[in-house]
Amino acid sequence: MKDDPIAKVLDNLMKFDDILACMVGRRGMIDSVLPSDGTDSFKPEIMDVWDVIKRGMDNIFVTIQDISSIGLEEITYKIRGYEVLFYVLPDTENALVAIVPSLANKGLIDVELTRSRQRIQKILENEKKGETEQASAVSGLLHG
Amino acid sequence: MVEESVFYPQKTDTQKIETDNMRIKSSVEATLGFSEKWDAREAGREVAESAIQNLTEPPNFFLLFSTIHYEKYGGFKNFLDGVWDVLPKGTPLIGGTVAGFMNNYGVYAQGATALAVSCPDMDVAIGYGKNTKRNPKEAVMHSVNMIKNDLKSSPHNNRFLFNFVSGTSVMQIPGQGNKKVVDSGFMSKFVMLAFGMSQYLFQKGFGREDEIFEEIIKKLPKYYMLLGASMDDYKAIKNYQFFNNNIFTNSVVNIGISTDLNFDVCTTHGMTETDKKFEITKLSRNKHIIHKINNKPAVAELLRLLDWPEGFLTEKTMMHRILYYPISLRRHGRDVPAVMAGILKESIITPCALDDGEVTVLTVSGKNLIQAMSKNLDFFKEMQPEFGLFSTCITIFETLGYKTNILRDELLRYFNEKPFLMFFSPGEGTYSPAKNITYANMSFNTVIFGHNQNMVM
Repeated sequence: MKDDPIAKVLDNLMKFDDILACMVGRRGMIDSVLPSDGTDSFKPEIMDVWDVIKRGMDNIFVTIQDISSIGLEEITYKIRGYEVLFYVLPDTENALVAIVPSLANKGLIDVELTRSRQRIQKILENEKKGETEQASAVSGLLHG
Repeated sequence: MVEESVFYPQKTDTQKIETDNMRIKSSVEATLGFSEKWDAREAGREVAESAIQNLTEPPNFFLLFSTIHYEKYGGFKNFLDGVWDVLPKGTPLIGGTVAGFMNNYGVYAQGATALAVSCPDMDVAIGYGKNTKRNPKEAVMHSVNMIKNDLKSSPHNNRFLFNFVSGTSVMQIPGQGNKKVVDSGFMSKFVMLAFGMSQYLFQKGFGREDEIFEEIIKKLPKYYMLLGASMDDYKAIKNYQFFNNNIFTNSVVNIGISTDLNFDVCTTHGMTETDKKFEITKLSRNKHIIHKINNKPAVAELLRLLDWPEGFLTEKTMMHRILYYPISLRRHGRDVPAVMAGILKESIITPCALDDGEVTVLTVSGKNLIQAMSKNLDFFKEMQPEFGLFSTCITIFETLGYKTNILRDELLRYFNEKPFLMFFSPGEGTYSPAKNITYANMSFNTVIFGHNQNMVM
């Protein structure tokens, strides 16, 4: 997890006072990415409601899986004084998720979450490109 | 009546300007600095390095803005030390903390940015004044004297002053933090009583940037001016101003520019009048709190006028509901469109000092805000820009979020690779001798330096 570039993007998000927790995940929390230190950098106040929030997140990921292909960009839900923001990664069923206090200045947070989503998207694209190049090289070797 | 500002071309000395296919060859070098690094020292170095690496001459001045985050990630001393590791000694530097900024590269709520300008036909002076929340007149006097002294022998005709003032910092209400809506009658009375004392003793309170601006204009009426205010991440707890290698709080910092370059200032906003009007019938002594409108308790009467139910404005809903209904206040015979900043039981807090009399409720939409930016650039269509500085209301940034980036496309088209820097401010305005003062919330305030193509011989 420590060298995962996506985890590093999440590490930076955790530096904002109003971001209490963040992750990149999808339905069933398969292949979820947390910050480099796991949940250690999550702000302590979120731990009391983490289980409730996580249950809600599972349900939202089902919705994301259903409608992400038609251009879903963001979903938010409010629960017990917090807002859970889902920034869907285009063309995937994954989302960057951030939990913020419901009274946070969301315009400012939106700027940094959108920029982080762009960074994550770029990392995923580069990984995909690397895999494709590697596959072509292997294919070239096999057929060459 | 809320009026938009109008662009008046400015007289200039054109003798030094050469033309090439009607485009003016310029001796001005203006560059942007930028860093997204979190470590204060590294960010300071990077923002300075990236700004000056493309200059062939040392900069005449360096405007520096950063978000509040460096306070926690190394501190502002380290941040400025990083800048001065790189910046040539003696470069006039002013700036401070802002909630966010937009430049040629993007829109950011974390990081640092700078504008460095090198120009042979330019003299620059910087000034500062302290204790702006306690004694704005004295602060202005100190800063203006510094500017006047340093520019008195400058041979250039055109004068510009950028004013950057410590913005509002909210007093923490015991047991409640910094709230925008105080429901309790007892607590409201306590807050109102404490306001005056806190403003004077602890300098926690209104930024008074509107009063500072009026005062500076009285002292330097021939200057064109842009006003901005410093802020943290929109929590209004603390903010800092930079002056060379000093870090100030509760201060005004100024840069005066004397040049033969053309420039002008312009304010636009996207607010339109509704048919809802009311009369302010009772104001607080500091002219910041409306107690009664139409001779009735202010909040209940406002809700009735807007056809909103009782309890519609709460701590949770206040920001996004009230933002879209600014009000047009009156101040010294001028219209001042303003956002209602908070509620104290039955009273409304305004961000600027106001006079009693008739008020019109305004409205604004995201689309109107974006159009206001286009209108602003329209005023400068005769200008071949060299660089631009924008002081834009923080509520626009908070309202549009990342969509603020939509404005950048238009700015990129206008500036055509020349640098621009927009910072988001809790108090903004412009002044020109021709147009007088314009102070408005939710507005775009611009100064663009360049060459007025109409004046090319």
